Amino acid sequence: MSGMAAPSPASPADGEWAECLVPPTDPPPDLEQEIRRVVGRNTVFGPRLAHAPWVARAEVRLIDGPFAYLPRALRERIALVVAQDNSCRYCYGVQRALLRIGGHSEADVDRMVRDSHLTSLPPAERAAVDWARRIARASPRPTASDFRALLATGLDRRVALEVAALAAFASFMNRVATLIALPMEALVTLPTSPVFRVVRPLLAWSLKWRRKSPLPPPRPNDGPCARLVAELGDSPTAHVLRSMVDEACASPILPKRTKALVMAVVARALWCAYGEAEARAMLAAEGFGAADADEVLATLASPRLDAREARLVPFARETVRYQAGMVQTRIRAVCRDMTPAEAVELVGIVALANATCRLSAILPDP
Amino acid sequence: MTATVVAVAALVAAAAVLLWARRRVAGLEARLAAAAAALESLQHAFSRFAPAEVVEDIIAQGVSHRSVKKDITVLFADLKGFTPLAERLDPDVLVALLNRWVAHMSAAITAHRGHVAKLLGDGLLAHFGALEDNPWHTSDAVDAALAMRAALAELNAALAAEGLPPLAMGVGVHRGTVVAGVIGSAQLVEYGVIGSAVNLAARVEDLTRTHDVDILVTDAVRAALDRRFTLRPMPPTPVRGMSAPLATFVLA
Repeated sequence: MSGMAAPSPASPADGEWAECLVPPTDPPPDLEQEIRRVVGRNTVFGPRLAHAPWVARAEVRLIDGPFAYLPRALRERIALVVAQDNSCRYCYGVQRALLRIGGHSEADVDRMVRDSHLTSLPPAERAAVDWARRIARASPRPTASDFRALLATGLDRRVALEVAALAAFASFMNRVATLIALPMEALVTLPTSPVFRVVRPLLAWSLKWRRKSPLPPPRPNDGPCARLVAELGDSPTAHVLRSMVDEACASPILPKRTKALVMAVVARALWCAYGEAEARAMLAAEGFGAADADEVLATLASPRLDAREARLVPFARETVRYQAGMVQTRIRAVCRDMTPAEAVELVGIVALANATCRLSAILPDP
Repeated sequence: MTATVVAVAALVAAAAVLLWARRRVAGLEARLAAAAAALESLQHAFSRFAPAEVVEDIIAQGVSHRSVKKDITVLFADLKGFTPLAERLDPDVLVALLNRWVAHMSAAITAHRGHVAKLLGDGLLAHFGALEDNPWHTSDAVDAALAMRAALAELNAALAAEGLPPLAMGVGVHRGTVVAGVIGSAQLVEYGVIGSAVNLAARVEDLTRTHDVDILVTDAVRAALDRRFTLRPMPPTPVRGMSAPLATFVLA
């Protein structure tokens, strides 16, 4: 990342990765069932994220691929490229393994990465990949006029919306995996196993991704980020986003005020007026007035913050752009007095804020 | 029999051509992969000097002429009394000393989201908020200046233990609007910031000698800081290029 001590390595597989932030725990039975239904096996992420069940549930729903219009090949390419751009060793490793299970050779996967950086893609696919990378990088955050320019290239609007949703959701997953420092899933080393050729077809069949059908927009849709959910139209991503936001807000692990403060800081760091307005509304509902919010957002400090908020508020901005090793060290210091559930919820909240602010590029100008 | 021989010969020839073509393609693929890997490493390395979008622009189209006006914070730092030191010390010792100072100060700056843009002999220029949007670039810059002060104290303790003379520095911090972009020609190019804000930051650093302090900030910086920072006003002082005396504040 520019401005930081050293550039990220060219491949996330080569980067540093800390010990996992939290110990494993037993997921609640319904969550365990949902994980098995979608992923079909024991996972590393399930027991780690189960401390805050909504975060684990969000991961499962995103792994399930809630896309009705996005072609599979484009989805795979974007997931790989965004994981690489975000230097997420976990997600990059998993995505490469999934592509190998799907029948791609190692050379195919390398070519996929290479072609995403060079210009040898069809124009519409090139536009989609570039758009996804801009959403994920948010440096600067793309705006409504950038979305209009993308549509002017001829990319179908429904595909463009799902590309933005995928890039934003991938940013969520990358941040959860990186901040928690999830250990590698067993399937990442599976392609090097001597029995891989034998088990691959069976695995590929069990993991076969099927495009979802368009759905009526979620009802009710009156909580935070309602405009964003509505803009996704009949894409199944609208339902996933609605449930992520509702469950995050309803979770009792961290106080609502703390969550709203952290979300407001992420929105300010990304200059996302929409995200900041949503967070400010949540703060106002918790009795944290506009002047107090102004002070916190201008200085990342305030006598109104409690001791934990005084640590979390400045940390939230560090989740917008980071180097994996440095942010993994930082979060340990920040979460030193927090329970595993509080730490996982914090990670989920900053990841969700980063995702929704990036996704807000699809909103028309007010 | 003749037809069979001809058919076999044709098959062998076709197989040979196919084999040659496969080897050629494999060779080209390997070269392409190596070139792509080198390009990616270069891009990552260059991301330390310019925003990723600028680097990609340059790769795709040659030198990018994209520039923007931005509100940033500029920090100048300079070693005081370095010239007499240069006359006393062995050149190798002098350069090693300077490099240690640069390393400590660079670490303090990058730890606070700044970017060391230029090394200027026994000084450096850093900016905050130019390469990446940063709503808190001013407090980051001032935090960096405080970290530089602490880092210098640590360095001086180490130098004393080695029997080397201590270093002293001046730091000037100013916030203002600059033009940020790729400056230069095909032969020499850099990502830089230009404008009166940069010149003023240099003048402020100069004033640390006049006021005999180590860190000075301007009123524009003071206005953007919160109550965490303790500032003491210095007497307004005339500076070259400004019509009115410049008000500055020393950072406690």
